Amino acid sequence: MDPEMMKLLAAGLCMGLGAIGPGIGIGILGLGAMNALGRNPEARGPIMTNMILAIAFAEAVAIYALVIAVVLIFVA
Amino acid sequence: MPKRRFLGCSFPVLLGVLLVILVLFLVSLLSGALGSSLFGDLGLPSWLSVPQPHPELPAGVVFHLLGFPITNSTIAAWLSIIVLVGISYAVTRRLKLIPNRVQSMLEAALGWLLNFCQEVAGEENGRRFFPVVTTIFLFVITNAWLSLIPGFGSILITNAEGETVELFRGANTDINLPLALALISFIFVEYWGIKSVGLFRYIRKFINMGRFFGAIGQIFSGKIKAGFAGLFNGAVDIFVGALEALSELVRIVSFTFRLFGNMTGGEILLLMMLFLVPFVLAIPFYGLELLVGFVQALIFGGLTLVFATIAVAPHAVEAD
Repeated sequence: MDPEMMKLLAAGLCMGLGAIGPGIGIGILGLGAMNALGRNPEARGPIMTNMILAIAFAEAVAIYALVIAVVLIFVA
Repeated sequence: MPKRRFLGCSFPVLLGVLLVILVLFLVSLLSGALGSSLFGDLGLPSWLSVPQPHPELPAGVVFHLLGFPITNSTIAAWLSIIVLVGISYAVTRRLKLIPNRVQSMLEAALGWLLNFCQEVAGEENGRRFFPVVTTIFLFVITNAWLSLIPGFGSILITNAEGETVELFRGANTDINLPLALALISFIFVEYWGIKSVGLFRYIRKFINMGRFFGAIGQIFSGKIKAGFAGLFNGAVDIFVGALEALSELVRIVSFTFRLFGNMTGGEILLLMMLFLVPFVLAIPFYGLELLVGFVQALIFGGLTLVFATIAVAPHAVEAD
């Protein structure tokens, strides 16, 4: 196994495995937001704002994995 | 009976448009990387083929100024500063009470942002945090959207070392700019917190030794049981305070990598899509990049706002 192949494999695994958690997390956030919206359609503004905020937090973790993968391919 | 119209055009015009789109799709499919791997070399003219992109993470140096290397992302940041200052100056030169179109557009944007700040932070705090949050928002969104203009990354220039480098590159893709914005956001959040609550009360949020030493005093003065309970709670307080301080610092790293990762990922995605199927596949991803630029700017400003609101909150609720 030469280093080049290992780097590409590591980049693929990093991004792939690193996207599982945030994907599930964003789905759960969406579920909570939809439930809240269904119960109380008038509170649409605060619900959507807070949902977007929370999704940005969850997505940041996937972006960390993306940065490591990009560094593995192009820099290391 | 009026002529039947499909999507606003008459039937022959619609047919012509669809035909053009189909031809464009086929040509780009055949000339891109997907086509050449599926169908082999078809002998299409060389100006149709896209060379394999090599995205580089560090930004290329264009020239040196007083010993500092000026990279192409710095030049792009200067360009967005010029755009923002130019628009603001041109519109506010002759403010009218009944605004014309451009002025009312800018008023609507600023009014929406002020509304957002006041919704999250309350009336007067929202007005206090508004300048920094709006500056961060406008700067990030101008950087992100300017880099999507066609031809932005295509102007090539040869620098002093002789390498060909692009003149402009999206300013958010250089990690130094998100880092600078994150540091500014951190400094301002701490400044507002200290200014609102006072220096000692703010520091006491992070170094919370009161209960611990009070409990030691209690043990020495005879109340053993209450003393030990206070000792345990005091140790938990110290630990929680240190964790809060750590999370304040980690916020800088998190802001930086969120903005940098989103923007660089988007740039690499667009390059790859343009390489695979040249003309057509990048269109939906352009839409995605517009949305991502707006959302990331909103997130950066909005999170600064949220952390500032938490920092100036008058008194944390005692968890007893």
